Amino acid sequence: MLKTLISRLPMLVLLASLTTLAAPAAQAQVNPTASSVQEQELMRALQTGDFVAGRVSIPDERAGALIKPGNKGWAGIQGTTLRVISVAAVLVTLTILAAFYAYRGRIRIDSGFSGRVIERFDGIERFGHWLLACSFVVLALTGLNFVVGRWTLLPLVGEDTFGTLSAWFKLAHNFMAWPFMLGLVWVFVTWVGRNLPSKVDVNWLKVAGGLFTRGLHPPAGKFNAGQKLLFWMVILGGVGLSYTGVFMLFPWLAGSPAEWQTYQVIHALFAAFMSVVIFGHIYIGSLGMQGAFSAMGSGKVDLNWAKEHHSLWVEEEVGHGKGAAGKPGAAATPAE
Amino acid sequence: MARMKFLCDADRCIECNACVTACKNEHEVPWGINRRRVVTINDGLPGERSVSMACMHCTDAPCAAVCPVNCFYTTDDAVVLHNKDTCIGCGYCFFACPFGAPQYPQVGNFGTRGKMDKCTYCSGGPEADMSQAEYVKYGANRLAEGKLPICAEMCSTKALLAGDGDIIAEIYRERVVTRGYGSGAWGWRTAYGDTVTV
Amino acid sequence: MLVKRRTRDAAQTGRLAELAAGLAAKPIDRRSFLRSSGLAVGGLAAAGALGPGMTRRAEAGPTDHGQPIEIRQNICTHCSVGCTVKAEVQNGVWVGQEPAWASPINRGTHCAKGAAVRELVHGDRRLKYPMKKQGGEWGRISWDQAIDEIGERMLAIRDRSGADSVYLLGSAKFSNEGAYLFRKFAAFWGTNNVDHQARICHSTTVAGVANTWGYGAQTNSYNDIRNAKTVIFMGSNAAEAHPVSLQHILEGKELQRANVIVIDPRFTRTAAHATEYVRMRPGTDIAIIWGIMWHIFENGWEDRDFIASRVYGMDQIREAVKAYTPEVVEDISGIPGDTLRRVAELFATQRPSTFIWCMGGTQHTVGTANVRTYCDLLLATGNVGFPGTGANIFRGHCNVQGATDFGLDVGNLPCYYGLGEGAWKHWARVWDVPYDYFVSRFDAVPAKAGRDARTPEQNMGVPGITSTRWFDATTMDADEVDQRDNIKAMIVFGHGGNTVPRMIDAQKGMDALDLLVVADPHPTTFTALHSRTDNTYLLPICTQFEVSGSRTASNRSVQWGEKIVEPIFESDNDFAVIHRLADRLGFAGQMFKNYEMVQGKFGSEPTPESILREINRGGWSTGYTGQSPERLKAHMANQQHFDLVTLRAGPDAPEEVRGDYYGLPWPCWGTAAFRHPGTHILYNPNIPVKDGGGAFRPRFGLERDGETLLAEGSWPVGSEIEDGYPEFTYALLQELGWDGDLSAEELAVILRIGGENPGGVSWSTDLSGGIQRVAIEHGCVPFGNGKARAVAWNLPDPIPVHREPIYSPRPDLVASWPALDDARFQRMPNIGRTIQQTAVDQGLAGQFPIILTSGRLVEYEGGGEETRSNPWLAELQQDMFVEINPGDAADRGIVDGGWCWVKGPEGGSRTRVKALVTERVGRGVAFMPFHFAGWFQGVDQRGNYPQGTDPIVLGESVNVVTSYGYDPVTGMHEGKVTLVQIEAA
Repeated sequence: MLKTLISRLPMLVLLASLTTLAAPAAQAQVNPTASSVQEQELMRALQTGDFVAGRVSIPDERAGALIKPGNKGWAGIQGTTLRVISVAAVLVTLTILAAFYAYRGRIRIDSGFSGRVIERFDGIERFGHWLLACSFVVLALTGLNFVVGRWTLLPLVGEDTFGTLSAWFKLAHNFMAWPFMLGLVWVFVTWVGRNLPSKVDVNWLKVAGGLFTRGLHPPAGKFNAGQKLLFWMVILGGVGLSYTGVFMLFPWLAGSPAEWQTYQVIHALFAAFMSVVIFGHIYIGSLGMQGAFSAMGSGKVDLNWAKEHHSLWVEEEVGHGKGAAGKPGAAATPAE
Repeated sequence: MARMKFLCDADRCIECNACVTACKNEHEVPWGINRRRVVTINDGLPGERSVSMACMHCTDAPCAAVCPVNCFYTTDDAVVLHNKDTCIGCGYCFFACPFGAPQYPQVGNFGTRGKMDKCTYCSGGPEADMSQAEYVKYGANRLAEGKLPICAEMCSTKALLAGDGDIIAEIYRERVVTRGYGSGAWGWRTAYGDTVTV
Repeated sequence: MLVKRRTRDAAQTGRLAELAAGLAAKPIDRRSFLRSSGLAVGGLAAAGALGPGMTRRAEAGPTDHGQPIEIRQNICTHCSVGCTVKAEVQNGVWVGQEPAWASPINRGTHCAKGAAVRELVHGDRRLKYPMKKQGGEWGRISWDQAIDEIGERMLAIRDRSGADSVYLLGSAKFSNEGAYLFRKFAAFWGTNNVDHQARICHSTTVAGVANTWGYGAQTNSYNDIRNAKTVIFMGSNAAEAHPVSLQHILEGKELQRANVIVIDPRFTRTAAHATEYVRMRPGTDIAIIWGIMWHIFENGWEDRDFIASRVYGMDQIREAVKAYTPEVVEDISGIPGDTLRRVAELFATQRPSTFIWCMGGTQHTVGTANVRTYCDLLLATGNVGFPGTGANIFRGHCNVQGATDFGLDVGNLPCYYGLGEGAWKHWARVWDVPYDYFVSRFDAVPAKAGRDARTPEQNMGVPGITSTRWFDATTMDADEVDQRDNIKAMIVFGHGGNTVPRMIDAQKGMDALDLLVVADPHPTTFTALHSRTDNTYLLPICTQFEVSGSRTASNRSVQWGEKIVEPIFESDNDFAVIHRLADRLGFAGQMFKNYEMVQGKFGSEPTPESILREINRGGWSTGYTGQSPERLKAHMANQQHFDLVTLRAGPDAPEEVRGDYYGLPWPCWGTAAFRHPGTHILYNPNIPVKDGGGAFRPRFGLERDGETLLAEGSWPVGSEIEDGYPEFTYALLQELGWDGDLSAEELAVILRIGGENPGGVSWSTDLSGGIQRVAIEHGCVPFGNGKARAVAWNLPDPIPVHREPIYSPRPDLVASWPALDDARFQRMPNIGRTIQQTAVDQGLAGQFPIILTSGRLVEYEGGGEETRSNPWLAELQQDMFVEINPGDAADRGIVDGGWCWVKGPEGGSRTRVKALVTERVGRGVAFMPFHFAGWFQGVDQRGNYPQGTDPIVLGESVNVVTSYGYDPVTGMHEGKVTLVQIEAA
C-alpha cells in the first residue's frame, strides 16, 4: 500500500502541474513560453513525501527525481533525532543499571553454593545463545560506530584510521547480520516451548521477581517471567532488525527511497531498543547475579542457585531423575 | 568570500546534455556515474522545462548530517566536498540528498556500492590541489586553476550558471526582467533556503 | 582567483593517532592496506572493473600541471554550427578540453557531442588497422596490401563495366580540402557518380534556394538571428540538432522579446521554448505556407516595394495561393485558419523575420518545392538580404556546406560550376590538365531501352546516380540504369549505410556488389548490414582532429582546424589515402602535381594548405578565392576581435583581420590580396559590395515573357550602376569603359583564357580575379544585380503545388493532390506516382494507420556509429525507441519503456524498438530517431562488426521501415513521412 502510493507520487506531481496549464486544444494558441511550469508553484503544491520528477534518458528511474525536499526530513531525523535517541537510550540504561547496582548490589545465592551443579543449558542451547550474542555485540558496536563514531572514535584515531576501521566495521555489520539471523532462528526454535506464558509468571511479575527484595524467590520454571519477556523482546527486536536490515543490505528491495528511509528509521529505533534490553540482560547474567553466568558458560549451575531462581524447573528436572551431579561439598567454582 | 552556487535557467536549458558529457570528459567519469544529469519536467507538454541538476552544494548539507564517518566538508567557497578515503559507501547520503547527487560505482547491495562519487564543483578533494592523486579520486580541480565548473562554462545556451551565488542570482534576475518570464531558480529553496526574487 | 580553502584541516589526525600508530602508520595506512589486500572498501567492489576507491579508469590524461601545455584549436566534427574546440595537448596526448571563449560562434560552449569529442581520440572502438573480409572472416591486412587489392579490383571493374560502375560516396566529414580532393579524384577516375550526405539532408534546399536567388546556402548566420523579431522554425529541431545555435536564438528572443514560432508535427525541445507552437500533419508544408501567404495577401501585409524592385513572379504566386483558403489548408494540414492568420501577421508585420528549416522541410518527395515556398514567403514579406531576416538553413554535418560547395554532388564540379563543357574546361585549366584527358577517362554509354547512346564527352555532362538510389542501380536490370552498366563497387568514405530508406533493398544492394570499401574511423552500417563474405575492405581513416584543414560552417564561415594529435593506431588521413589510391590507379602524378607534398605517416601526402591554394585559384563562382590559409589561420588566432552579432572585426583588431567577417564567409571575392571581408549576409544592398554587400544573382536569363529579371530601383550602396545589371564579363567591362582598370597581368590572363573570344571570360572563369576586382571597385556585384524568382519555370511545378506523400494517410486527398507522374532522372526511374496509387488502391492507410516521421537526437549524429561508440554519449541513449502518443499506446497495450514492433508498408519491413509514450507526438503520429543501426528486423548484428569495433549501443534503423519516394529535382528521399503500424512485442 505504502509502496504503491509512493510510486504514484511523481505522477501526482505531474498531474497537479498539468491542471494549471492551458489544455492544448486544437483551436487555442499554444504558447510554451507563457505556459512554462513554475518551480515555485510546483514546490508549493507538493504534499509531504512528494517530489518533483520528470523524464531522463539514462535508464535509471531514480535519476528522474529532480527535487526531493522530503529527503531533508529524513536527513534531519537520521542526522539528529535518531542519534539523540540512541545515545540517550544507552546512557539512560547504563545510569539505571548503575543505580540498581548501587541499590541492590550483587544478588547472591542466599543459601550459598551447594557444591552440586545441575545442567541448565546443553550444547545446542548454548551454541545458539552465543551465536546470537556474539553477532549481536559486533552488530551493536559497529552499528553504534555509525551513530556516534564521528564524535567519539574519529577525534581519537584520526581520519585515516577511522576510515579504515569504519569500513571494516561496515563489512562486519553486513556480514554479521547473517549469523545473527541464524542465531535468532536457532534460539527461537530451541526455547520457544519454554517461553510460553503461564500462571506462575503472574505471581513472579507481581513481586518483580524479587529483584528488589532480598531473599524473595518467587517460583519459576526453566525461564522465569523476566527471562520470558527478554526472550520475546529479543525475538521481536531481532526480527525487526533483521527485516529492516535486509533492506539496508539490499536497498532496491525496499521499493522507493522513501520506504527505505522508513525502514532505516525503524532499524535504528529497534537497534536502540535491543541495546537497552541486552544491556540489562548482560548485567543480570554476569555482574548483577552471583551464579548466573555459568548457566551459559559451562551450562551447569549450582543447585542452590537453581532452587532459588527456578524452583519449579529443578523439581521438574529432579522428578525426571536428572538429579544434580557432583559431590556434595565440592567447591564448584561458579564461572564468572 | 565567494559562496559558490549553481543556477539552472530552465527557460534557457534545451536538454542538450553538454553539461553531462563535459563533466565526463573533464573528470573521466566512468559509465554508470552521472555527476550531473538533465531532467525534463512535463515532457512533451506546453509547459515542458528541462533542468540540469547535480550536487547543489547546499547550505547545511543534509549529506554531511547523515554521514556516519563525517567524510563531508565544506570549503571556504562553500563547496561541499567529501573524502573518499573516509567514505565507506554506506549510501546514507544518497537518501539524504534532495537532488540525487551521490553516485556509486556499483548499484546495489550488500555493501558493494563502492565509494560515493559526486559533483565536486570542479574542485577536487582533500589531496593536494591539482595533484595526480586528487585527479584519480575526484577529477580535475578547476577552481584551483582559477576556472569555474566545466559544465557551466560549456553550457550551450548559458542556461547553467556557476559562480558566486549573489552574482549568478543577479544575472538571472536581470534576464527575467529583460525577457519578462522565468520559471524560477530550480532547487534553490531546497538547497539554500532562499530563492531568487525578481 | 579562486583558491580552494578548507575549513576543517584540523580533523585530519586525531589525538590518539600516535597511539594508534600501529593501525594508521605507513605499513598499513589505509589505502596501501586496502590495495595490498586487494579489497576495496565495499568489499566485493574489487571484483568489478574499478580499482579500490577509484571511480575512474586511468585514461589519457589528466593534465600534468608540471609539464607545459600546448593549446591547439580545431572545429567540432559534429553539426554545422562550427564550434571551436580548444584542446590541451601534452606530449602528443590530448589531455583536456577547455572552453573556447574567443569564438564568436560558440563562445566557449558545446552541446553533448562537442563536449565529448576528446573521446574520439581515446578511440576504444575505432577501426585500428586496415581489414579485409575473406571467407566471411575479418582479418588484419597492411595498408599496402589493402590499397593494392582495392586498386586492382577497381581497375578490373573499370575494364569490365566502365568507370561509372564504381560509385564514389564521399562525406560531409571531409575537410574542404578532402572534399575537393575526392571530387577531383572522381573527375580523374572518370565518373559523375560521386555524392555525399548533402543529398539526404539539404540537396533540395540547395536546389530550391539556388533556383530562387542564386546560391544554395544559408543567407544569414546563427549569430545574426539575434537581430530577428520573428523567427519561424519549420521542420527544424535546432535545440537537438544545432544546440549551440539556440544560444543566439534564445538570447535574441529575450533581448528582442521576439516571436518564436515552431511549426512541426512533434512538440520538440525547440518548441518548448517557442512563443507559439503549431502542430501540423507531416508532409503538408506547401499547403501551410500557401495558407500563410493567403492571409498575407488577403490583408495586404506583403512588402510591395521589395517585391516590385527585387522579385520576379510574385503575382503568379498571389494568384496561385488563392486556392489555399483557410478551409482547404485546415483540411490538408490540420491547422486552423486563425492560427495561420496569427503566424502570418507576426511574420509579415513584426520584422525583421527569419525562416529556419531543416530536414523536416527538405526530406520529402516535394522537398525542392517546399524550400521554394519558404523562399517565396520570405520574398513576399521582404525578409531577405538584411540583418535579422533570411533563409536560415541550418545544415547538418560539420562540413556539409563545404563538401557541397566543392562538388561532392552528382551534378557539379567544385563551386557549382555544373557539368557543362565550360565547367570542365575551367577546372582543367585550374588543375593544369588537358580537357581531353577527362574526356578520355569517361565511359561511352550504349543505347539502352530506347534511350540514345552517349559519347564520353556527353556522359561527362550527365549527372550521376544519387546516393539515395545506389542500391537500386546495383540490383536493377541494367537496361533501367542509364549508364554503361550497373554499379559494381562502392567506395564509401565517411558515410553511414543506414541513412536512406528501404534498407532491406540496401542490404540486397550491398550483397550484390563486387567490391565494397569502407574508409571511416568507425566501421559503419556498410560493414555490418550485409552477408558479404569477400571483397570487402575497411580502411581506418582518422578524424578531422588528427589532421589539419578548413571546414565551412552553415553560415559559410570557413574555419581552419589544426591537427591536435597524430592519427591514432594505424589510421591515416583522407589526403594520404586518396593519394595512395590515385597512385595505384595511375593518375596521382597528374592529380597531385600542383600540391606541396610532404612525408606523412605512411608515405607522401599533399599539404592541406596547398590544396586550399588551388581552391583559391579556381573557386571564383562562389567566392572561395579570398580565403587563403594564412587569412583563415589569422582568423582562428584572433577570434576574440570579431563582434558577436555582426561577426565583423572592429577597428581595434590586428591589421591582418581588421574589417573582416569571421571566417570570411563566402563569397569572399577576389584574391586574398584584395582583402574582401567575406559576406556575412547574402544579397544585402544596404552596404557596399566591398564590405560584404550584394544583390540577388541573375542566373536565369535577363528577361522572361517580356518581364525583366534584373533588379529595378535597387542596387548595393556605392554602386556606380544604379539599376539592375547582368553578370560581369570582359565584354561588359569594355562596354562600361572599365577594362582600363585591369592590370596588365590580369588582362593577360583574361586574354589567354578567352582565346578567340576574350569578351566571354567572366567573373567566374577569370583566373586572375581582375574582373571581380574591377567590378567591386566600382561598387558592383560581380555576378550581377537581378531579381529573385518566385516562380522557377525550369523545375517541376514552377509554382509549388501541395502533393500528398507517396504513402498518404489521407487517400481521399490523393485524387486532388497526387504525386508527380513517374519519370526518369539522375539515370534512374522514379515510380512514385505508381506506388502512391497502389497504396491507395490497396488501402494501406487503413492497415498502417500511423504516420512515422524521423529526426535527430542531441547525443548522436548521422548514422551514429561514431557517436554510439563514444561512451560519454552512448550512456545517455542506450536504446532505439519510437515516440508514440499515449492514446495510440493505450489502444495497442503498449507501455512506456516496453518493446514494440514498428511495421512498415513495404516488403514486410519491421523493427523492434522500445516505446517512449509521450505527448511530444500527436495522435496518429510516431517518431523515431535515425542514428541507430546494428539490429536488423529484430536480429542483433553485433557479430558482423570486426571484434572490438562494434559501437557500444546498437539498435534498429528507422530506415528499415521508411519507404519509397524521391524528389524529382535532387533525388532526395522521403525520410519524414511513411505509414506504419505499431504493435506491442
